[in-house]
Amino acid sequence: MSVILTVEGLTAGYGRVTVLHDLSMEAGRFGNVGLFGPNGHGKSTLLRTVSGLLKAKSGSITFDGEDITRESPRAIVGRGLIHVPQGNRLFPDLSIADCMSLGAFSPRARPHEAENREKVVKIFPKLAERWRQRVRTLSGGERQMVSIATALMSHPRLLILDEPTLGLAPKIKDELCASVQEISKGGVPLIVVEQDIEFLLELCPQLYLVNHGTVETEIKPGQSIEHSEIMSMYFGH
Amino acid sequence: MGAFAEIMFGGLFQGSLYAMMAVGLALVWTTIGVFNFAHGVFMMLGAYVAWQFVSLGLPIAVALPVAVVVMAGVGWILQASVVRPLIGRPNIVLVVVITTLAAGSLIENGVLTLWGPRSKQLPSLLEGNTVIGGVGVSLHQIAIIIITPLILAALWAFLNHTRLGLALRAVAQNEDASQLVGLNVTALYGLAFAIAASLAGLAGIFMGGYRFMTPVMGSDPLLKALIVVVFGGISSISGPIFAAYLIGFFEAACSYYFGLYWTPALLFAVLILMLMVRPEGIFANQSRGLA
Ligand SMILES: Nc1ncnc2c1ncn2[C@@H]1O[C@H](COP(=O)(O)OP(=O)(O)OP(=O)(O)O)[C@@H](O)[C@H]1O
Ligand SMILES: [Mg+2]
Repeated sequence: MSVILTVEGLTAGYGRVTVLHDLSMEAGRFGNVGLFGPNGHGKSTLLRTVSGLLKAKSGSITFDGEDITRESPRAIVGRGLIHVPQGNRLFPDLSIADCMSLGAFSPRARPHEAENREKVVKIFPKLAERWRQRVRTLSGGERQMVSIATALMSHPRLLILDEPTLGLAPKIKDELCASVQEISKGGVPLIVVEQDIEFLLELCPQLYLVNHGTVETEIKPGQSIEHSEIMSMYFGH
Repeated sequence: MGAFAEIMFGGLFQGSLYAMMAVGLALVWTTIGVFNFAHGVFMMLGAYVAWQFVSLGLPIAVALPVAVVVMAGVGWILQASVVRPLIGRPNIVLVVVITTLAAGSLIENGVLTLWGPRSKQLPSLLEGNTVIGGVGVSLHQIAIIIITPLILAALWAFLNHTRLGLALRAVAQNEDASQLVGLNVTALYGLAFAIAASLAGLAGIFMGGYRFMTPVMGSDPLLKALIVVVFGGISSISGPIFAAYLIGFFEAACSYYFGLYWTPALLFAVLILMLMVRPEGIFANQSRGLA
């Protein structure tokens, strides 16, 4: 496997507040990448900068060998770098079917629309039953499924999931985790932020601990790591 | 019979103009979340642009589509100059009220300087008159009554049955999510304004064909469109369309039975009553979004 995304010396934030400080990471060399770390330390900010929603103050982001640091979200989507943001409200008054059409909006995804829809139905059979239902009337878990399904319709080359299981009940959470595993097995590399460390360890051979807006520790495959060690990384030194 | 025909006809005619205006206002509100107070000026400018082409010798059948296209460009430019730079501000709704009012007044005075204060009139879409149910009506007005629902239906079909229309409805609901599926948000904002300005311009051309044009001819229709949108709910475009015709009929009935003088007062009385009972609009379902 080869590196698909490289972030180098990234500094970014909101207005005058800087959240990310000189952050560097890469993804793709070992497969899926997991990000974890305490709340409010910049994981979502990193992902929003990567997908172009936030402008980097300095540093560079390279996707598939090309510099995308200053590109618009639309251009980045056009390259196949697809981001499912944290707590995505999606489009409350559109139906699931509408969301799928929107997912396939970019010229790159359009030709694969039918094939991707089949994939979505296979991975999330629940959605197929409620194809015409409005997003606002869906449960939290179902909405999360629609968010990920919409991203799959965009024909991702790299899929970014920001806390896909946040706030879900155990049963639906397990279901969603299984779906994410299935997507990964289907050959789409992932970058995942997750609070559930078990799930993250299972899914991602490579992990980054994000703390105070920068990468504090990188865990590579082969480096055996105990759950308890991660917990101590989380909760203090 | 005469009363019925007169109210029917007057309602359909006024309702058509109101609907054409209100739909654009609602479209801009639902997609961008701002009120465009230059909307009445769009109406006026459409009529003047068409008049300019007509006075250059073009027949109205050609001047009309050309002016509508010009107005699309004007709408796009206005959006790019006084709305887009402000997007993301916390107080955007108020700020845009001011910037669009300012731009509108600039355009209004520009028109006054360029074309002068003398009233002008556009040729009718169709010449001639006829009598229906004992009421004399012009073919121009009948043409408007027939064309408007067709245009509104086309707009509805565009919004609900094309991918671009879907994109417009989406951007209204979640900007981040729209960007993350690769929608060109700024272009969609421009498109919403362009469509709104074209429809307003068309309403102006319709109006200029049976009434004298002045640089302030758009202010009353803007006010009416605002009332329509409050009546119908700003959350959709079908609500304002129904409300536009309802108000058209209400006005026609009022002016028939109580006279033109009392009509605005009665209209506002009903509006206030309705706001007390159903503040979200008669036809609104609580949610925001185009449909
Ligand atoms: N829109 C915003 N405007 C200003 N500050 C923001 C904004 N969004 C996030 N922040 C701040 O940026 C910092 C990092 O937030 P971020 O959402 O990236 O953290 P996170 O690691 O994803 O946290 P969590 O695990 O809770 O999702 C926080 O201090 C937060 O308050
Ligand atoms: Mg987060």
